Amino acid sequence: MTEQRLKMDRRAFLKTSAAVAAFTIVPRHVLGGEGETPPSESLGGALIGCGGRGGGTFGELGKNVRQLAMCDVRFVDKADNKLYYTDFRRVLERKDIDVVAIATPPHWHALISIAAMEAGKDVLCEKPMTRFIAEGRAVVDAERRYNRIFQVGTFGRYGAIKSDRSRLTHKIMRSGLLKNCQGVHIAKGGLKVAMWSGMVKAPPQPVPANLDWDMYCGPSPLRPYHPHRHGGTHRGYWDYEGGGLADMGQHHFDPIQWIYGKDDTSPVAIEAYAPPAHPEAGAMWGWVELTYADGLTFVMDSGEWGEPYSRKKDRDVNLEDLAEEDRKKVQETPDPEPFPTFPEAVKTRRKPGGHAEAAHRCATLLHLANIAIRIGRKLRYDPVKEQFIGDEEANRLAYQPMRAPWHL
Amino acid sequence: MEPREELLKRLVAEMPDPDERGMYCHVVVKDEGPDGKPRTETKPIDKDKIEKAVAELQKRGREAVVGLVGMLVEPLEGDDVQPIKAKYALHVLGLCVSKMTGDDARRDYALALASQLGAERSKGARKYIIQELQAFGRKEVVATLGKLLTDADLCDAAAMALVAIRDGAVEPLRTALGHAKGACRLAVVQALGALADAGSAEALQKALGDTDREVRIAAGWGLANIGAGDATGALTKAADACEGWERIQMTNACLLLSERLVAQGKKDKAKVIYAHLRDSRKDPSEAYVREAAEKALAAN
Repeated sequence: MTEQRLKMDRRAFLKTSAAVAAFTIVPRHVLGGEGETPPSESLGGALIGCGGRGGGTFGELGKNVRQLAMCDVRFVDKADNKLYYTDFRRVLERKDIDVVAIATPPHWHALISIAAMEAGKDVLCEKPMTRFIAEGRAVVDAERRYNRIFQVGTFGRYGAIKSDRSRLTHKIMRSGLLKNCQGVHIAKGGLKVAMWSGMVKAPPQPVPANLDWDMYCGPSPLRPYHPHRHGGTHRGYWDYEGGGLADMGQHHFDPIQWIYGKDDTSPVAIEAYAPPAHPEAGAMWGWVELTYADGLTFVMDSGEWGEPYSRKKDRDVNLEDLAEEDRKKVQETPDPEPFPTFPEAVKTRRKPGGHAEAAHRCATLLHLANIAIRIGRKLRYDPVKEQFIGDEEANRLAYQPMRAPWHL
Repeated sequence: MEPREELLKRLVAEMPDPDERGMYCHVVVKDEGPDGKPRTETKPIDKDKIEKAVAELQKRGREAVVGLVGMLVEPLEGDDVQPIKAKYALHVLGLCVSKMTGDDARRDYALALASQLGAERSKGARKYIIQELQAFGRKEVVATLGKLLTDADLCDAAAMALVAIRDGAVEPLRTALGHAKGACRLAVVQALGALADAGSAEALQKALGDTDREVRIAAGWGLANIGAGDATGALTKAADACEGWERIQMTNACLLLSERLVAQGKKDKAKVIYAHLRDSRKDPSEAYVREAAEKALAAN
């Protein structure tokens, strides 16, 4: 993204174009010739959280989006509140911003997504969608209340829907004809447990001059500064994320959740095998088993601590699991419609793949797993009320208070 | 019999040492190999060893909690890992007592922790204790936490813990509202809203006129969360009068209040708000609010 392009907001763009048009040949990008976007279809975009995945996430907004603002808590030394910001609230006040890409650490994902939708913007947010369960429901509510487009930037389900086998499994599961599901999906490895753990020994250090540390901490407790708490390694702290499980889990389980038709529900029983968890820093765990009400089981097996998972074996769901008369019904069911991409969703107002409810349910899988690891006992969960049954400590991790002034 | 202090130190020493990255990913063992040369080995974190030591701590009840708190030294500097281990042991002890049948052990643990919130402990240690109470405390500690709601360094943590505990938390928050200042007042207003305390509706309505923008926003959100039907006029008036971020937030509070009123069966009151937003949000930049209100009117 060039500096020149960044500096031009939509009004300035139109004004300049009009002035130029009065005296010269109207340029093609104004009229919108082949391969060009006319200004009427051009959208103003903002990127909030400019490190790591930021540029890539912004690119997913679509070719017709012009970047008008960049916001990051590390911009203290260059914030001009025109192009560079440290406070996302000032970005969202702008009326020329239509779409927002969010690539902050996850403890800000829900709050900024909700605030953006409250301000009338459509949102593409990085994974994992949230830091705890209540945040996800609040995002779903905001999406519904304001009829906005919201998508989490993990795209595995776009590939899954193209697979004949995945579509068949999806149709079996969504048919409601399979009463006692014996499917087991085991995700082995790839959850970067040691890589994205937190430091338990992290003596305070001076806050860098270009960093707004209070804003960085935001809804989480204001801790003494340590560089490991931000800049990618934030993943290892419960204050900001949920370790490699949360960071990679939405990639692994978003397509799996769709394939097995679980975009609108959650597991009812969760059990983890792990050493006692640290209250602030994510650390080692062995495996987590999550079971849905129909018997479907998802397993996360880290392969990084303790004995590997051995209770069940991977098992697909098959047509043969159904009574013969039901197989035909499933085979005759039309295939699901392809998911709109984010730009298509913005244009058509149809929900994209990874919309709020689906993404929330996927993030919930990760939170349930992490809470089971943190609490260290078998948990039962009500997927309708979205609460643990008879476990006060677990519910407190699902519904966490926020540091004022931030609230859901 | 092993002296009390020595026993505690020995049990705390059973907790893992941070590894070479300062993490709890594995245990680094440095010893002598069979050839007599020094060697370094890494081993997995030993779950059984930790749980066995914490079970011993649990048997010592209040004495162990107070002893562990005494080992919390903040900020953590130098090579001494005992404070890190004590911090971990205290939390694992909380997990242990919260698992036990009956509530006595958890209650005793929480009360022992709360008894250590006096000024003789460092702010860092007290913040950690509050964090543990947020995880494991219940009604028995709300009064103690309430006393911290006017402490500029601790009020945020105390308010968050009270919101998590919920049961009995409203009383100390209401009391603090009368005299908390600055950031503490904001934390208290927000906590009352989070707890949807209907008894605070009048105070929150007054806070809509506060000089601090964040307090006004927190009050508006709180009234909405409560579903305060009597605040309908005040909230819409406040939302109409402000601009920018505050207008966005107050307008959202109006919509949230309407949803709460619908849930309470007070559709007529909700419709008044929806109709007001439909008729007052004329600027194209607020068309989405108008549409949201129209959609809600059609649905109700």
